[in-house]
Amino acid sequence: MIHPLDRKLLRDLGRMKGQVLAVCLVMACGLAMMIMTRSLILTLETARSLYYQEHAMADVFTRLKRAPLAVAERVADLPGVATVEPRVVVDVTLDLPGVSEPATGQIVSLPQDGGEQKLNRVFLRSGRFPRADERREVVLGEAFALENKMRIGDQLVAVINGRRETLRVCGIGLSPEFVFEARAGETLPDHKRFSVMWMNYRALAVAYDMDGAFNDLCLDLAPGAAAAPVIASIDRLLETYGGGGAHTRRDQASAQRLDDELKVLRALSFAYPLVFMSVAAFMVNAVLSRIVRLQREQIAQLKALGYSSRQVGVHYLKFVLVIGVIGTLIGGVGGRFLGEHLVGMYTMFFKFPELSFRMDRSALALSLAVSMGASVLGVLTVVWQAVKLPPAEAMRPEPPADFKPSFFERMGLTRFFSPAFRMALRNIERRPWQAVFTCCGLSLATGLMVLPGAMSDSIDYLLTFQWNSQQRQDVAVFLTDPTSTRGLHDLEHLPGVIRAEPIRSVAARLKYGHRQRKLAITGIPAGADLNRLLNGSDEPILLPTEGMVMSEKLAEVLGVRVGDELRVEVLEGKRPFVDVPVRGLVTDYAGVAAYMDIEALRRMLKEGDTVNGAYIALDHVKWDDFMRELKDTPQAAVVMVKRDQLAAFRETTGQSIGIIRKLYFVLATIVAFGVVYNSSRIALSERSRELATLRVVGFRLAEVRGVLVGELALLVCIALPIGLMFGRGLALLIMKSFSTETVRLPILISPASYAIAVMVVLVAAISSFALVSRMLSQLDLVGVLKARD
Amino acid sequence: MVFEARRLRKVYHTGEVEVIALHGVDLELNAGELVCLLGASGSGKSTLLNILGGLDVPSSGELRYKGWPLANSDEKALTLFRRNCVGFVFQFYNLIPSLTARENVALITDISRDPMKPEEALDMVGLAARMDHFPSQLSGGEQQRVAIARAIAKRPEVLLCDEPTGALDVTTGITVLEAVERINRELGTLTVVITHNAVMAEMADRVLHLSDGRIVSSHRNAQRLPASQLKW
Repeated sequence: MIHPLDRKLLRDLGRMKGQVLAVCLVMACGLAMMIMTRSLILTLETARSLYYQEHAMADVFTRLKRAPLAVAERVADLPGVATVEPRVVVDVTLDLPGVSEPATGQIVSLPQDGGEQKLNRVFLRSGRFPRADERREVVLGEAFALENKMRIGDQLVAVINGRRETLRVCGIGLSPEFVFEARAGETLPDHKRFSVMWMNYRALAVAYDMDGAFNDLCLDLAPGAAAAPVIASIDRLLETYGGGGAHTRRDQASAQRLDDELKVLRALSFAYPLVFMSVAAFMVNAVLSRIVRLQREQIAQLKALGYSSRQVGVHYLKFVLVIGVIGTLIGGVGGRFLGEHLVGMYTMFFKFPELSFRMDRSALALSLAVSMGASVLGVLTVVWQAVKLPPAEAMRPEPPADFKPSFFERMGLTRFFSPAFRMALRNIERRPWQAVFTCCGLSLATGLMVLPGAMSDSIDYLLTFQWNSQQRQDVAVFLTDPTSTRGLHDLEHLPGVIRAEPIRSVAARLKYGHRQRKLAITGIPAGADLNRLLNGSDEPILLPTEGMVMSEKLAEVLGVRVGDELRVEVLEGKRPFVDVPVRGLVTDYAGVAAYMDIEALRRMLKEGDTVNGAYIALDHVKWDDFMRELKDTPQAAVVMVKRDQLAAFRETTGQSIGIIRKLYFVLATIVAFGVVYNSSRIALSERSRELATLRVVGFRLAEVRGVLVGELALLVCIALPIGLMFGRGLALLIMKSFSTETVRLPILISPASYAIAVMVVLVAAISSFALVSRMLSQLDLVGVLKARD
Repeated sequence: MVFEARRLRKVYHTGEVEVIALHGVDLELNAGELVCLLGASGSGKSTLLNILGGLDVPSSGELRYKGWPLANSDEKALTLFRRNCVGFVFQFYNLIPSLTARENVALITDISRDPMKPEEALDMVGLAARMDHFPSQLSGGEQQRVAIARAIAKRPEVLLCDEPTGALDVTTGITVLEAVERINRELGTLTVVITHNAVMAEMADRVLHLSDGRIVSSHRNAQRLPASQLKW
């Protein structure tokens, strides 16, 4: 049996279904975003922890030059170490049939004699591991296999230590250390041109003169053991074997990339829904204030009948509770739908044995709490006003609204204003909070609308900046080992090379205070013209003859400023420790880097004219000839082709940001429409008597429409610039949350994006006005006028 | 003759119920007359007034305003008719609360063909001194007088008043009726007043009794009693 009051509630809600729907939808948008992001976080975290656990993701990783296998046993004996897996890991060039550019691969050895991997166990999607005696069989990374349509039994040519070898695919697999499958130092995956492969230890070790030795080590820590002391002992132990410095899982490329993504999602799960919920709270407040004003007499009657203030209060709170529940339900369904579709996007970046959407049920409960919280907070004062009204007073019609000349009129500007405009100004001044709330809602909607455009601008700028202004080379080639400048000359003499600039990069650990970061310091000539270093204003930075220039993000990570001195621990060759001052900061948007003048770097390394790579500009007519010869250049270990990187970026990050952008656009449109519709609907209801009077005394429908729309149009005009500023702030916040070591989005908003935001809000406003105008034309003039206020 | 109605019928359909509000009314109203419509609730007097004022259209029958057919006019024509020819006064004053007395009147004078000045209209209802007050600063009687000033500022041919004193006490009600009377007398406006109050009929030239959607009686007062002498 439904209580009569609840029946009243349902019927009241039914009568205002348009507005209820508008509020519920806005609320649902925010909740859907929250549920979606939190569920994606849960999905990724669950998949990760399951994968890491079941396939024994290592805790600590390190590279070295070469060490006998016995050294691995010594590492295993170190306190705090549980399991050790020595391996041979090499970079190779791949020659794919029908593709001119060389691809690169990373081959990881599988344990000797067909034994089982102890750590970073490969998950076999299909096929089998190489047979114990098989030299040319490989398990191929799934992403590369899919992208290049390779199947078990297919063959591919790899240049292994200078020799072209034909490898046969015996299995397709993936590994927890390559959830994000990209070349070392690459921020974006290029599954077409990069593959990880697993091969028998002996076959690989023999080819690289590593038989009985290893050049890569990963290990598991004993339960409760701290990583830092173990890393210190390993580094000490491996120093004589060319150890490159161990790092934990946190600094492992793939794991870090996954962490970065989760960080972005966490920020989104909070900031974006917060805006929606604020808008929803404003709207709920507006709707309920109106109901309470209209039902003034009903409240009095209920109290006269003996209902307590609490019962009346609860009755009106139920309005928002129903709205909250409907909003949460729609949001839950929407969030699930969006989440299920967006999980597909993550499979482009992250390779798990299985990535299936998991709904975060706690997010649903949280959503309900947040929506209720926001709504109740939005209406508390209104409900309080309703219940504190003494019945006798409430029974009397509300006294005529108290008006006075508006501020502008008091300034003597009356003669410039039409009566309609005067009415609008005075209405706003009389209920400033209502106007402020409407303005806030509209501003937030406008702001939300700026975001998708800002993202698009940002990506466009990033593409131009990164791949036109900064990287002007066509190809970057890295050699297997540092050589004399002869190596550069060899590259220069390949067909079609217009210009080649040398690179000497060296692995190092940069320390400042208690912070440190392991990365490659890149040495390039001071006036380098191909890979240019630019500051925030797009101006080239000239490398100083001493000292270092680094990414702004790296400086932030290390906490250094220009002028500070870093401790650099070189992790190759003579492994010197040097103090190097930071001389400048580079603006870049993908990865982090540290640069030095190549001469200064060589002096620091105490070596001659060495190079280990080059940036190359090509004559495009001879593109294929260059690539063909490069494939036959055994020293070329890694080849990065700019246009491929660009294509990969467009296919992955570009596409995923595109999806998010569209999603934001749709959500912002719903909010803009909802807010304007709600406000005009309330204005129509509250001012129906005024509007009917005007109609009766002979105002045309269009003139009355002007009076109704005037006030809202004025609020829209006030809200738009505020909204654009807020949009800029929001874009700043959201893009900062995207700012990771992997990718950063430049904050840049074109006038077109602002214009689109304004236009969408105006279109939403105009269509809402049109809808409300239709209601206005159906207004029962006599009925309204004969009714008591 | 200002209005001429023949076999005027109005039927409302509310859900499945058919309510006949006017049952074939024949009526003639002349310039300068002050006519009182008396009748119980639901007798059809408001429906008749609304049809005369162009707020509603009859279901059948003929209605002419100065020979011009009103019954079949569209919304646009009715708006123009209300704008130029009719002034309304309702029981609840329906002033725009955000506009002062003068501005409420100016609202009409701005859109009329040959209006009087707002000040002049307010002066006629005795509110010259309260012109810049907002409705919330005026008493009920004063608000109703602003409504009358607003209705007559356009110099309408017809002034239609639906229970103009319904929400007022006696003294205030009489002040309002005095204003109505003065307009009728000085401007020669055909004035139709709806009331429950039979005493008010004494100030009219003609009194029409409505019952059940029909005019059941009509009589002409030999002499109009001035509003100031009415008592109830």
